[in-house]
Amino acid sequence: MNNSKKKTLIYRIAAFLVIMAIAAVMFIVGRGHTVYFDNKSSDLVAEVPYKIEVKVDGKKVASLKKNERGMVDVMGQKLTMELVVTEEKGGEAVHMKVSQPLPYNMDGIILNIPAMLNGASQDQYVSEFVPVLSETEVAEETVVTDDTAGLMSFGEESEASK
Amino acid sequence: MNKINYGDLLRRFSVPIMFVIICAVCAPISGLSPSYLCNEIVTRMGRNAFLILSLLIPIMAGMGLNFSMTLGAMAGEIGLILVSDWQIVGIPGMILAMIVSVPISALLGLFCGKVLNMAKGREMITSYIISFFINGIYQLIVLYLMGPVIPIKHSNIKLPRGYGIRNTVSLLSMRQKLDNLIPLNIGGVKIPVATFIIIFLLCLVIIWFRKTKLGQDMRAVGQDMGVARDSGIDVERTRIISMVLSTVFAGIGMIIYLQNMGNIATYSSHSQIGMFCIAALLVGGASVEKASIGNVFLGIILFHTMFIVAPKAGTVITGDSMIGEYFRVFVSYAVITVALIMYETNKRKNKSKAGEQLALAQEEANE
Repeated sequence: MNNSKKKTLIYRIAAFLVIMAIAAVMFIVGRGHTVYFDNKSSDLVAEVPYKIEVKVDGKKVASLKKNERGMVDVMGQKLTMELVVTEEKGGEAVHMKVSQPLPYNMDGIILNIPAMLNGASQDQYVSEFVPVLSETEVAEETVVTDDTAGLMSFGEESEASK
Repeated sequence: MNKINYGDLLRRFSVPIMFVIICAVCAPISGLSPSYLCNEIVTRMGRNAFLILSLLIPIMAGMGLNFSMTLGAMAGEIGLILVSDWQIVGIPGMILAMIVSVPISALLGLFCGKVLNMAKGREMITSYIISFFINGIYQLIVLYLMGPVIPIKHSNIKLPRGYGIRNTVSLLSMRQKLDNLIPLNIGGVKIPVATFIIIFLLCLVIIWFRKTKLGQDMRAVGQDMGVARDSGIDVERTRIISMVLSTVFAGIGMIIYLQNMGNIATYSSHSQIGMFCIAALLVGGASVEKASIGNVFLGIILFHTMFIVAPKAGTVITGDSMIGEYFRVFVSYAVITVALIMYETNKRKNKSKAGEQLALAQEEANE
């Protein structure tokens, strides 16, 4: 192999590796999750705060009273949120910043905030949200592969269909 | 001094002139506000320009209008379907979809280029039929192999029967992410700055490419294959490269198009796109042999203005919006037909002119 061919081969391999590296980075930074925030009691926490406000990127995404759930769509493997916790009605709100790593394999993640604030381990306050399919999602769908189908009917009923 | 031949000029720009007249008549009748029209045209320019620009390279190489750009569009759709299932969202999702689509597009472009080399002089009809052939394979992959062979996990993408992809795949997680990356609003008109930057970069690449050795070779091949071959250019290879580039750009363009739309019509998006892109380019004053970046943008403005105002104007005039719908669809096909007729007529005219000149020269030599 002469020098010029060798050089070309090296450039091609380098380009391929760079593209693969970009793809790998995209896989990690672009992973989308739907995070559900719960303000619910559990085995670990009997009493939950009166109200929890969740802010992500400075935007309020959920305001949870007792036994309520909120959600937000996020990108990446870490969720940084600001929590405004009011323990009792009329009480003083406490602001705190929390960073939470998100499991890659979960699309929907439920965070039990009272348990998290109580110092429980991640396994105890993080669980997977498994969506239940709606009726329309379960109903059989007719695939239309011919985009000219019905183009010439002009809304009239054919003799055969009558 | 050369006299301007107004007849020739009029004939050459007949299609854009016709569209300017249609738009000028229909726009006031439609009653749409100028700001709404501007907004729509700017949005559609961001949505379509990349796709239409992908048509320029094969024209440069003398391969005519690349009807097989739909191959690239299919590759882009496959990339987006997979990325949606992997739950990669936003701009990273788009980049990953492009990375997935490029090798598929390149392979399809290579195949298409090889076939078109076997059908020199009949490139357009061949590429048109290739797009139907590959559409069949695309359907086989998307309808039967996605699920059992290519893993698809999510039930909102997969058909309820357990394999195959639904008629519509939602791209809500990446909808207009590129368009809104750099937000800019001028007088109520939303400008998709990031999309325009990418389009501008492609324009620069095309301008630069024309000046490279390969670009010059392509132009030489486009003008005369025999002369190009005699001067040492590998004609077949050059034509294949032009098809590969066009298909790859079409794939990326389709991803930009679909991120703006926010969903994929799995079995029909690509089939419509080729026809409308070609029609828009022709409306901009391009021909089968010659097209420029200016034709792309003029075409988008005129063609899409007609697309926006025609249904409304149809409703106002006839009381039935479907008249306008039919009108715009029939006009798109008519424009392509007219362009092809003009191309053939010019070709025959030039041939007979060359024949006459040759006969005259022979007569003079005999005398």
